[in-house]
Amino acid sequence: MATTTASITISSGDLTGDALSLSSTATLTKADKSTGLDQTTGVARKFFASITSAETLVSASEYTADRAHKVYIKNTSTSNSEYINVELGASNITIGRLYGGDWMFIPYNGDQDIDIDTSAVNMTVEYLVIYEA
Amino acid sequence: MASVRVTLGISSADVLSTALGLNVATTLVADSGTMIRAKVAATSGAGSGITVYKADDKDTSAYVYVNNLATEHEDYIYVYNDTDSDASVAKIAGGQFAFIPIAVDKTFKAFGTKVNQIIEYGVFGQDNPANTLG
Repeated sequence: MATTTASITISSGDLTGDALSLSSTATLTKADKSTGLDQTTGVARKFFASITSAETLVSASEYTADRAHKVYIKNTSTSNSEYINVELGASNITIGRLYGGDWMFIPYNGDQDIDIDTSAVNMTVEYLVIYEA
Repeated sequence: MASVRVTLGISSADVLSTALGLNVATTLVADSGTMIRAKVAATSGAGSGITVYKADDKDTSAYVYVNNLATEHEDYIYVYNDTDSDASVAKIAGGQFAFIPIAVDKTFKAFGTKVNQIIEYGVFGQDNPANTLG
C-alpha cells in the first residue's frame, strides 16, 4: 500500500495584527479510507504554444467516478498577466484563475473533465493526479 | 500591501518506484482575509449551504482554503459554485483540505454529509470595497 501525504501552510506576518500561521497535513487515502491512493500520473508538464480554450487537461474518462482522486495544477509562468482558467465539465464551469506562479490542490471526483484556458502563447502547465482505480 | 505565503508539499516514498516529493510555494498579494471555523448546517445545496466566498468580495484574485475537520473520512464537505447552477467544485473527505484560487465573481458555498460538520476555511485576496459580506 502506498502512503502519500499532502501538507499545506498558510502564513503571513502582516495581514493581521498577530502573525497568521496555519498548517495542516492529510494522508491521501482511497474512498474506502483504509488504504492509500496508489496510482499517479507523476508530475507532468504540458506546453501550450498558442492560446487555447477549453483544453482538456484531466480527462474523466481515464478515472473511475466517485473516488478520492486528488489533483494539483500549477501555472508555471512568472508573469502575473499570464493566467489559466480552470474549468469543470462539459459546460466549462469556471472554478478559478491561476495567475503566474499560482497553484491549486483539490479533491477530484473523476466524473467531469478538468479543462483549462490559457491566456497567452507559450505557456506551461504543471499537473499531478494521484488517484485510485 | 500585505502578503500571504502558502506552501504545499506532496510526498510519497512508494506511490512511484522513485520517491515523489513535490514542494511549491506562492506568495499571495492580499490586503484582506479571513480564517473561520464554522458549523455547516446544510446537507444539500440549492442555496442553503454555508457561504465560503461571496461573489465580488475580492478584486482580481481570491484564494480559498477549506479544511474538513471531520474525523470520519466519509463525512464529506461539498464545495459548489452557487452562481452557476450549484456546479460541484470539490468533494473534500474528512481530514482533508483543498486550496483553490477561485473566480472572484462567483459565490461558492458548502454543505456536508451530516448536519453541523465543522470546517475551517479561509479567504485571501485584495478587498473590493464596493461589496460587503452583509
